[in-house]
Amino acid sequence: MKSIFFVIAITFTACSNNNIKSDEVNKVDNNAMDDTINSPSTVAGNQTKSVSMKAIVSSYLQMKNALTNDNGKDAATAGNAMTAAFQNVDESSLTSDKKKTFEDIKDDAGEHAEHIGMNGDNIKHQREHFDMLSKDLYDLVKAFSAGQSLYYDHCPMYNNKKGANWISETKEIKNPYLGTKMPTCGSIKEELK
Amino acid sequence: MKLIKKILLAILVLFVLIQFIQPAKNRSAQVLPMDISKVVDVPESMQIILKTSCYDCHSNNTNYPWYSFIQPGAWWMASHIKDGKGDLNFSEFGSYTKRKQQNKLKSIAKSIEDETMPLASYTLVHTNANLSKINKELIMNWATTMKDSIALKN
Repeated sequence: MKSIFFVIAITFTACSNNNIKSDEVNKVDNNAMDDTINSPSTVAGNQTKSVSMKAIVSSYLQMKNALTNDNGKDAATAGNAMTAAFQNVDESSLTSDKKKTFEDIKDDAGEHAEHIGMNGDNIKHQREHFDMLSKDLYDLVKAFSAGQSLYYDHCPMYNNKKGANWISETKEIKNPYLGTKMPTCGSIKEELK
Repeated sequence: MKLIKKILLAILVLFVLIQFIQPAKNRSAQVLPMDISKVVDVPESMQIILKTSCYDCHSNNTNYPWYSFIQPGAWWMASHIKDGKGDLNFSEFGSYTKRKQQNKLKSIAKSIEDETMPLASYTLVHTNANLSKINKELIMNWATTMKDSIALKN
């Protein structure tokens, strides 16, 4: 009988301890939440439309640079960053026309970004999605400002000489499709400002 | 010895029990207005190839063989169908944006060319889903032509 009481007593203290702990955790969580709620809203106040596209473009460039170095893992990280960047665009500030364009691009590009994020060990597959993603990004930059000057480059050899395009921040050609095997293959098609 | 018998019995009981938990079947008789055949031109010969080699995982209608009802294989199969439809669903092709439709067709041609589709684990069991060289060419040509026709319409 004594032992039963003992067990009950222990359970009680254990439970109350847990309660205290979870309260503390809640407090910490609330603080953290307050921070996250506050900081983006202050940032968002200063943010313009082009700034929010900037996160997408910069994740793309990060991905492109990873692919030029044959680094599938970094390309995957950039893919995940791009997925998040697309989610973070505040669509309410867009006109209905622009919103439609954006949603169309997001629907497609988001899927490519996701697949690139999932295939860190399959760079060949990442490049196939990168090919289609580059077209989406080109349309995105054309419809919205990228906030920086970019180059639209062409590689005639990729995909059995069917060719593919990509966007770069440098004038110098660094090919993301052929990677370190043929880094300088390609030419500038268009300057995007 | 007794312990081994008990373990074997437990496995057997578990095996029998899980047979009663069958995942929902992927079967729908109706052809939706967003079916691929309503969006692009799908000749009958192409329809047959796609149905045999792709539709089990990429449409709303799976052709279930008898062994697909044995667990835990049925769960494995259900998860494959879910993934397959998530990436490409011929029954709902029309719901994709024009941009996506073109990319899906491009990816179809590419995966046939690279032989990543149909999955080797699938054709191992469904030998009739194996694509002949001619059928591969037919799919690639069809997908590329359809992709270009959508691009022209825009």
